[in-house]
Amino acid sequence: MIKSIDRDTCIGCGACVRICPLDTLRMGEDDKACIAYPDDCMTCFLCERACPSGAVDVDPLREVLPPTFPDVPVELGGGRA
Amino acid sequence: MKSDVKINKVETDLLILGGGSAGLWAAHRFNELMPERKVTIVDKGPQDWGGLMTMAGGDFEAVLPPDTVDEWLTDLVYYFDGLCDQPLMEALLARSADRMRDYERFGCEFFHTPDGRLKSVPQRGLPHVKLYPAQQKGRGGELMAKSLVARLKDAGVTRMGRIMLTDYLVRDGRVVGAVGFHCRTGEAYIFKAGAVIAATGMGGWKTSYGKNTPTGEGMQMAFEAGAELQDLEFCRVWNMPRLFAWEGQTHLFPLGARFVNRLGENFMSRYSPILGPNTDPHFTTIGMALEIRAGRGPIIFDVSPLRGEDMILLKPQTGWQKLNYDKLCKLGLDLFKDNTEWVPQMTVSHGGIRAGIDGSTAVAGLFAAGTARSLEPGVYAGGFALMTTAVTGHMVGESAAAWLKGADAAPALNEGEAMARLDRAYAPLGRTGADTLTPKEVLTRLQAAVFPYDVSIVKNGPALTKALAEIERIKAEELPRMAAADSHYLLKLHEVNAIAFVSELYVRASLERKETRAGHFREDYPHMDPAGPAWFFIRHGADGSPEFVRERVPLEKWKVPLTRCYQDNFNFVEPRDAAKA
Repeated sequence: MIKSIDRDTCIGCGACVRICPLDTLRMGEDDKACIAYPDDCMTCFLCERACPSGAVDVDPLREVLPPTFPDVPVELGGGRA
Repeated sequence: MKSDVKINKVETDLLILGGGSAGLWAAHRFNELMPERKVTIVDKGPQDWGGLMTMAGGDFEAVLPPDTVDEWLTDLVYYFDGLCDQPLMEALLARSADRMRDYERFGCEFFHTPDGRLKSVPQRGLPHVKLYPAQQKGRGGELMAKSLVARLKDAGVTRMGRIMLTDYLVRDGRVVGAVGFHCRTGEAYIFKAGAVIAATGMGGWKTSYGKNTPTGEGMQMAFEAGAELQDLEFCRVWNMPRLFAWEGQTHLFPLGARFVNRLGENFMSRYSPILGPNTDPHFTTIGMALEIRAGRGPIIFDVSPLRGEDMILLKPQTGWQKLNYDKLCKLGLDLFKDNTEWVPQMTVSHGGIRAGIDGSTAVAGLFAAGTARSLEPGVYAGGFALMTTAVTGHMVGESAAAWLKGADAAPALNEGEAMARLDRAYAPLGRTGADTLTPKEVLTRLQAAVFPYDVSIVKNGPALTKALAEIERIKAEELPRMAAADSHYLLKLHEVNAIAFVSELYVRASLERKETRAGHFREDYPHMDPAGPAWFFIRHGADGSPEFVRERVPLEKWKVPLTRCYQDNFNFVEPRDAAKA
């Protein structure tokens, strides 16, 4: 999931905002990119790769989803905490 | 719809929904044949992003010498357990080499061995089906998309992004346009078109990484316009790392990688002594599910049998895959060094619009291409989608051109109908009240209904019936309460409506098919129907609800007899019972 956009490093080019497939990012009032809809990120890294100044940081861990094995303990490969 | 919403009207000869591989190829081919006609591509994502192709590794299936189309067709009839539309598949395979050559001509390179031959990787233990890896592992699909977009720019094809289309406009049985809205500006759009190509991708359940954009609205729109659907009982259950996303495991199994259970057992060799771990992921995930249910999880990815010289094919070298890999390594999650846990995960639907070889549907003027139409019954060989989306897109571009040459001018739009449909699409925008729900809340409940292994992998009647009841409850009680705070969320809301549509049809179709075949495993019907392979098509019943129609596969009319089935390589029932005993 997207983690952060460094406001000091962001040059406001909008490349990440243009490329995000999920419309997660928008330009803020300060003309810098911001994470407007974090829940919609799918961890595709397109924004981080598009950023010319290295301002975008995407965490590689994916979103936790409802489990495939709701009744099997996590330590045995299931989803029950 | 509020009266101050700006309404944009666009006229075009050909309207293409979806700017991924199939849509781009369709536009390219149509423009080659009819350069004087206007083509407009509309995508709900960014303009020119290339859809799921952008995130694909770039591996391509093609029938190249010494293989023959008949050999590949024979493989696929076996692999699909007979559920192969042979005339259609033969047409696709016959054109696969041309599209691969096109890509090479466009500058997309494929991997060559030191002696100058194309490197190939056999797939799923099949005698002939194989993929050709991209030279740029990690960026191959992205480069393919860019090469096509560059040609469309030069040709003057109109491309529009961030517009979600919600309804087709149909007049006198012919599709004449579509309506929708821009997810950033909130403006409305009415398209008038001579012909329409649905290249909208498959349905899906937003399981992260590249799978959050295909949600099935293209299928739902086509069905509501009068098209038929098929193969909804088949979904792609994929093996995925529990914590992160990965692309390219397809390469690893033919070269020796395998999954092992908590006891260190290479369990797929128990379920299939013939194929072992080098098989279709659908069957691997059944094995994973049975191991986890039996208490032998977690499942670990074991790459220790891989040879060092094969690693160059496997480790991401560029693109998002390298970025992802480097970040994971820093977290101690090096796929090639550390023990990583993998889980079976339902991802996308294999169902789609029923279409002829030329992509025509039951609605005049509406064509389907790529994964918006169904081509495979829940099993999947690497590189298949990049090939079939390119070929069907190319073919449908030709079909639409031929159709427009012979068709009358499109009748005028019914403005009243267009406005009524826009009103319906905008209705949840700004909806308020204490009982409203966000699209994400409803999405999570739909995922919870269909993800459990006894609904998605090792299916059984009682679990499917329970899931159907929950989906019907969500449809009745929760979909109407969804609210969108802005046009961004309005797009997400319509996606969730489509996910509910696909979820219901997935479960209904799964109940309908009382056998185990190809990508559909029913634990309560663990064998293939002795009556032979049949498809289930879905059309509108008399009361408007979906009606399933069983149609036998006419093997006696087709080239390849069904002499053996891929399913026969597996025995998922007895080993588990024996283990219990």
